[in-house]
Amino acid sequence: MDTPHEPHFIRPCTRIWLVLMALTCSTFAIGETGWSGTAVMLTVLGTAVIKVEMVANYFMGLRRTRWLWRGIVLGWLILVSGLITIAYLMTVK
Amino acid sequence: MINNTRTSHEIHATPPGDLAIWFFIFAELLAFGVFFVAYAFARAHNVELFNESQQHLNRLSGAINTLVLITSSYFMVRAVAAIKQGYSILCARWIASAIGLGFVFLAIKMAEFHEKFSAGISLSTNTFYMFYLSLTLFHFMHVILGMVILAAIMLKARNGSYSPANHTGVETGASYWHMVDLLWIILFPLVYVIR
Repeated sequence: MDTPHEPHFIRPCTRIWLVLMALTCSTFAIGETGWSGTAVMLTVLGTAVIKVEMVANYFMGLRRTRWLWRGIVLGWLILVSGLITIAYLMTVK
Repeated sequence: MINNTRTSHEIHATPPGDLAIWFFIFAELLAFGVFFVAYAFARAHNVELFNESQQHLNRLSGAINTLVLITSSYFMVRAVAAIKQGYSILCARWIASAIGLGFVFLAIKMAEFHEKFSAGISLSTNTFYMFYLSLTLFHFMHVILGMVILAAIMLKARNGSYSPANHTGVETGASYWHMVDLLWIILFPLVYVIR
């Protein structure tokens, strides 16, 4: 379904799609190893945060909007992932 | 420089699509955010139970569903690109492909639910399953709503209702669909992987 003269955002979005697929496979692989611990948790959650930012900025097109819009999503992401991290660290002895 | 035309590399004043959908998206992010944090703190008080119960989830189907939603989301990027070039039918085909992957997601998720319900697992089994079932069912309903929105946009695209100058509807539907993908990207590692 390719067409000539594609819009400028297609190539970066195609690369982002491939990166998102690869990062998903890496998260699954980590899950399959059964590893646990703070470093693993931070790696998996950090990977999810990066993926969300990629979807928001490239797929949703927020990188070409005012900082306010990106800031709302980024602020939400930092707050939610930060609280998840705090909840996880509460259980680490 | 700030403007509202979406044909250049310039910074736009508002996000793609109808601005109203973005308030809806932010409300959804807030609701799911509360849900995610509640899950994390509930887990902090029942670590052994959550870790043990999580072992019985089908991580492979969760991962495949992540790949399916990401690809479906990418197809919507292609649909927006197609309509910006004036290819209505091509746009409708990309949307149909995105909807098709939505059905794949639902089928995999229903198989997972069937497996759990057949094993006698329900919302009242334990705290982990209460969160697992309610979170994934809540997201499941959003996938269905997204597919209904995409189907309506696909029909309009096929009828030639959109053009390079008027494609806000396609961008609106795509934004909602990306949000559904974005939420699953957090839900999958949180519920299926992190222990």
